Amino acid sequence: MKNWFKTVRTLVWKDLVQEWRSRDMLTAMLAFAVLALFIFNYAMELTPANRAEVASGTLWVVILFAGTLGLNRSFTAEQDQGCFDGLVMAVPDLSAIYVAKAITNFLMMVFLTVLVIPLYSVLYNQSMFILSFFTVLLLGSWGYTAAGTLISGMTVQTRMRDLLLPILLFPLLMPVNMAVVKAAGGILAGLPASEISVWIRLLVVYDVIVSVVGVMVFEYVIQE
Amino acid sequence: MILEVKALTKRYGRRKILKELDLTLNGGEIACLLGPNGAGKTTLLRALAGLASIQSGEVSLDGEIIDFKDQTLRRRIGLIMHQPFLYENLTGLENLRFYAELYQTNQTGEALKTALERVGLNPSQEDPVRAYSRGMKQRLTVARALLHDPDILLMDEPYTGLDQQGCKLLNQILLEEKTAGRLILITTHELDYTRQIADRFITLHLGRIADEFENHELSLDRIQARYQAITAPREIAAQEPK
Repeated sequence: MKNWFKTVRTLVWKDLVQEWRSRDMLTAMLAFAVLALFIFNYAMELTPANRAEVASGTLWVVILFAGTLGLNRSFTAEQDQGCFDGLVMAVPDLSAIYVAKAITNFLMMVFLTVLVIPLYSVLYNQSMFILSFFTVLLLGSWGYTAAGTLISGMTVQTRMRDLLLPILLFPLLMPVNMAVVKAAGGILAGLPASEISVWIRLLVVYDVIVSVVGVMVFEYVIQE
Repeated sequence: MILEVKALTKRYGRRKILKELDLTLNGGEIACLLGPNGAGKTTLLRALAGLASIQSGEVSLDGEIIDFKDQTLRRRIGLIMHQPFLYENLTGLENLRFYAELYQTNQTGEALKTALERVGLNPSQEDPVRAYSRGMKQRLTVARALLHDPDILLMDEPYTGLDQQGCKLLNQILLEEKTAGRLILITTHELDYTRQIADRFITLHLGRIADEFENHELSLDRIQARYQAITAPREIAAQEPK
């Protein structure tokens, strides 16, 4: 088990160093997120009354779509450099590849969220610096990356991988989307914890189930 | 060490790439797989490495049938394919360190530098791999494939991109590995270089072993003539207008 964690750490280190030196994924994700925020800002005429209602949904959609760009690249970059077979030959347990990719994608999402929240707050005049709000986004991001990494591993060997990923992934994300928007919206609207907790529980259960399934089936998903 | 392939069949869709192929490879031997483009050489190597699923047949190592889902076996193989399995944004040393950690070889920085020196790469080379020439990448690929002291070496056209000095160095390394008892299978079109080290030549054609002989049995001209006799009819037929 110690070796498994060491392998995951090594894979995450490699992905982060690669990304830090190329900044391919982060630049694309961030550029998309900023553009989407501006477009939504112009497209929707928000009043102080409805601002809080749409905030969580708008922000989550921006993070979700920007994250898809990163997910698409996470395995494609391995394939393009011909390294995926090298990983399969070298790792002691193939599930370590899944977990490492999911962690890297999650860290990208967290980084993106940290940058997007202040920008959203300024553009939409809506304060979002609430710890519970950020926690909900983190839970949603993990569910998203856990499911997305699995589907990305599945579609990377297909010719239509760029199209297939969102088509297969978005239906799977329905529970996450619903729970994040409801919970985060509830927090911004100041609803009592009892009304929000059901959505947070749903997020936690979803995260656990998808992560366990991902670890269990990843080696079958990537087989030729 | 003996690797036996029995009745191995591999299909892509309806097309059979490998057709009930039988092959025996021995430790301490360099076997060279010849064959025209599309003969199934790369597919055979991928199948032996467990990267390509097979439809029927079996592969056994020292009499034990191999379960390709077993990662322990995969980790006994050093593999060189067309793509180098290297990360462009990492340096040569970082690439080796990365694979050494995955293989859990516990190699120190000095050992990794020695591995780089063995393939003729300057250990102080701290440039990212994207700045390497094709030949330098191939040298690093050889170092990467040998890093974990694999029992089996599967090499798909390992001379690609190497200059003359690099080809000679590779031959020297392969002879050292052979002496250490490794089982080595090389696919190549570079007969001049493989003639210097190969023990056996195997010609793969249309998914089957079409010819097999010891290196010392024939001269280079005879090898080329035999190879042409086996593979030419198909190439001529393919070029004929319909």
